[in-house]
Parts: sequence; structure tokens; C-alpha cells
Amino acid sequence: MDKLIIGRYIPGNSLVHRMDPRSKLLAMFAFVLIIFLANDVVGYGILTVFTFLGVALSRISISYFLKGLRPMLGLILFTVIFQMLFTTGGDVLFQIWLIKITTYSVQNAAYIFMRFVLIIFMSTLLTLTTPPLTLADGIETGLAPLKKIKVPVHEIGLMLSISLRFIPTLMDDTTMIMNAQKARGMDFGEGNLVQKVKSVIPILIPLFVSSFRRADDLAIAMESRGYQGGDGRSKYRILKWQRFDTLLLLSLVAVAAALIAWNRLK
Amino acid sequence: MAIHFDKVTYTYQPNTPFESRALFDIDMTVADGSFTALVGHTGSGKSTLLQHLNALLLPTSGNVTVDDITIKPDSKAKAIKPVRKKVGVVFQFPETQLFDETVLKDVAFGPQNFGVSKEEAENTAREKLRLVGISDELFERSPFELSGGQMRRVAIAGILAMKPSVLVLDEPTAGLDPKARIDMMRLFESIHQSGVTTILVTHLMDDVADYADTMYVLEKGRLVKTGTPAQLFQDVAFMTAHQLGVPKATQFALLLQERGQHFEQLPITRAELVKAITEVANHG
Repeated sequence: MDKLIIGRYIPGNSLVHRMDPRSKLLAMFAFVLIIFLANDVVGYGILTVFTFLGVALSRISISYFLKGLRPMLGLILFTVIFQMLFTTGGDVLFQIWLIKITTYSVQNAAYIFMRFVLIIFMSTLLTLTTPPLTLADGIETGLAPLKKIKVPVHEIGLMLSISLRFIPTLMDDTTMIMNAQKARGMDFGEGNLVQKVKSVIPILIPLFVSSFRRADDLAIAMESRGYQGGDGRSKYRILKWQRFDTLLLLSLVAVAAALIAWNRLK
Repeated sequence: MAIHFDKVTYTYQPNTPFESRALFDIDMTVADGSFTALVGHTGSGKSTLLQHLNALLLPTSGNVTVDDITIKPDSKAKAIKPVRKKVGVVFQFPETQLFDETVLKDVAFGPQNFGVSKEEAENTAREKLRLVGISDELFERSPFELSGGQMRRVAIAGILAMKPSVLVLDEPTAGLDPKARIDMMRLFESIHQSGVTTILVTHLMDDVADYADTMYVLEKGRLVKTGTPAQLFQDVAFMTAHQLGVPKATQFALLLQERGQHFEQLPITRAELVKAITEVANHG
């Protein structure tokens, strides 16, 4: 679990670190949509340059991003290989029985691969440079317009920031309980499926019990500090939209426009 | 049963950007039948070190020998499982590890993992539950209905039921009231008397002085001092500088010393202090 890079935050003071989480979230969302506009070398070229510009600006070593990619590698390869096997058309490169590898299939597989890599890089960039709580703030204020249609935005934001804050704590708890059960002779990941499922019980039950207890304690502590819900609360962390945030969104619009124009021109 | 550490180092998450070294060249011997105390400031590597005692962590380099089993950096899970039976670890706040439907089943869980039959395991469980002071009418209750102190006793019985020959205690009295603390330390003392090698990790210097016969001081992943508590607590300046402090009896003796009373050797327990003062009263 320690090896998980996705979702971690690395403190820093780069341009990307200082940006408003709302603009980063919005950009991330837009980027995922924009990536479907690219369908050739030039399109992916533009997006790759854009992504690496972001990585360079964050001043975080590229090795973090590559490590973030690693757990997803299996999924990516799976998709890429299937794409390669089931795409038809183009010149046949080589053929074994029914399986044909064609120029099209190789091309398509390469594009799918790039699509995955770019999306993972971008989302890693978002989480590496944004503290989880700021991210939750960003989501809460970003969702604020939904209050008009009775969506409990404050509650969602609160639950989100509490969950984010407790992820590391729960992970520590899990390791602690696993160690304690291992010390009592428990083997994990051994035996047949039934045994494997059974071996999860001595971890899950204590984990649930401690979560209930924590939730109780936290609720009491919050009430005793005067928490009464979202109405009439002021904010400690105030998000500030800066010039660079506008610049980021404008550049995304520019990238999207360039891609659309290029697709029309061809 | 002796435990021996030979040049053990341990690095968390090696070869990642989050790499951090927790133990440096630890050479340590826990003698058979000893009561060893392991003290150190928070973050000094105590918990990392104690996870090496029963092979929850494998050393990054060097090796740990428990009896006739050597734990090496590349040891296989099968080869080290017997170590877990020999070395019972009571983790901090052990009550969090309870999970089974009844107290009895939970305590019998440990031995059953090592191939002991259900009946035999439950017999041992009854015996150990009585030993830690849980009365018979609680055996069929859910562990989650018990009080915090009782839960901890049940958890400890769960470790004792494996009949370990080494008992490792990581701050076993944290969060207990004074009476429960004394009761629990007396329990561990009596288990130690019955021939179980005991390793105690603690911040309470009074407990170290009262019960331990060997003491290791750990700082920033290195063993900085070794000896008997009586020896180590003489160096009050060192212990204070490392934010560990000395037992209350020693503190009191120091105050007397400031007022001109000389001690051949600073007393570390209350009994020693009383003895020293009585001697002074009798002779001069």
C-alpha cells in the first residue's frame, strides 16, 4: 500500500502547486474530454507537449509519474493488446491463423496507449500538486451552483474532506491490524479462494468497529466545538483565482480549438 | 530462547521517492529468560525494531536469529512462520485486533492458526483468560460488549494462548488507569517469572526500573546505550538529554543530593530509595 503514488500529495511551491484547485479540476475534466478530439499523430503530439509542459512546470521529478503509471500498466496493456487484435483494416503486417496485425491496429493501439498515459499523467499531476483538503474545497465551491437544485453541497464537501483526511489513518489502521493478526499466525493470500476470503474477516471486522468508534468520537468532538451544519459558516481556507488559472483554461480552449481545426483541415 | 540481531538495517519503501531508513546497524542480544526494556524517543525506530522480532518485517540487510531460525532479507514466509509462534507480540492498543463472535473463540484463534485442535485451543484459551483475570461468565460474550480494560486483557490472553517463549510488549499499559497499569505489569512480571523472555517497549522509566534487567536505548534508528537499568540511570544527564528522564525515585534522590546527601549509587526504585535513606538514618 505504501507504493501507491496515485492520490498522494507532494509539497512544493511551483506554479502548478499555487494554482487554484477549481481551475485544476476543471482543466482535468476538460482535458479528458479534449483527449477524444485527438485522432492522429499531430493531435496526440499537441496533447503530449501540453501534458509535459504541465509536468515540467510542477517541478516534480518524472519518476513519480512513471511510478504512478505502474499499477495501471496491466490494465493499459490489456486494452492495448485487445485493440491490436480486434482492429481491422489497413495493410497486414503479419498474420497467424485468424489473428491479423495490421498497420491500423498498431496505430490504434498506440493511440489508446497514449490516451491512457496522458490521462494518468494529468490526474497524477493534479493529485501530486494539490493537497487533498484543498481539492475537497475546490469540489465544494465548484459544486456550489447545484445548491439551487437542493443538492446538499456542503454535506458532500464535508464528507469528502473527512474521508480524504481519514484515508491515511485507515490505511495505518489496516496495516496495524494486519500485523497484529499475522502475529497471531494468520496467513494472507494463501490457500484456496474460500480460505482467502475467510482470512479477510479478522481484518475487516476490527476495521469496521474502529471506524464506527472513530465516527462517533469525531461527531461528538465536532458538536462540542459548535458545528451545526453548513448554514452561516465562514471559511478559513479561501480559494483565490489568479491570472494563471485563467491562462490555463484559455490555453485548454486554444488546444481544443487547434485540434478541431486540424481535424477539419485534414 | 535467545534473540540475536546481527548488523540489522531496515529501509522503508526502498528504491522509491519515499525511501527512508529506520534502523542502522543494530547489534543486539536478548538473553534467554531476560526482561529487556527498549526505550527511545518517539520515532526512534522502536516499533520497526520490534516488528523484526517476529519477522513481520524482514531486515534490509543483516539478519535476526531467533533460537535456531535465522531471518534473512530473503527469507520465505514458510520458513519464518514458526518464529511467530515462539515470539508473541502484544501491539499497542491490542484491543483493536479483536474480531470473533465470542471472547473464547477470539482467544483460541491464535493457537488454531498454528495447527492446534479446536478443543485444545479452547482449553488453553480458558486457562489464559482466567490468568489475565477474565471471569468465566464473560467467555461466551461478544468481545465488543466488554469494557476497554477487559478488551485489552482478552487481546493479551489471545497472545498468551499461543504459548510463546518470548513475549514482546509494545507499551502495554498505555491509556490504562493507575490500578489497571500496576495489575497488568504484575501480570507480565509473573509470566516472566514462569520462564518467558520478556521484551518491553515503554516510555515509563519507573516500569523499566521496577521490572527490567537489561535496557537498550534507541535513538534515530541506532542503539546508543546498553546496560542494566541501574547502570544507565546513573547517567542522569544523558537520559535527560535524550528526553527519556529517570525514574521518580532517582529524581528524588537527586534532590536530596543537591541538599548535600551523598549516594554511592543513585537508587532507581522506591525500595532502593527507602533502603538508602534508612541506611543514612541509621549510620549518619
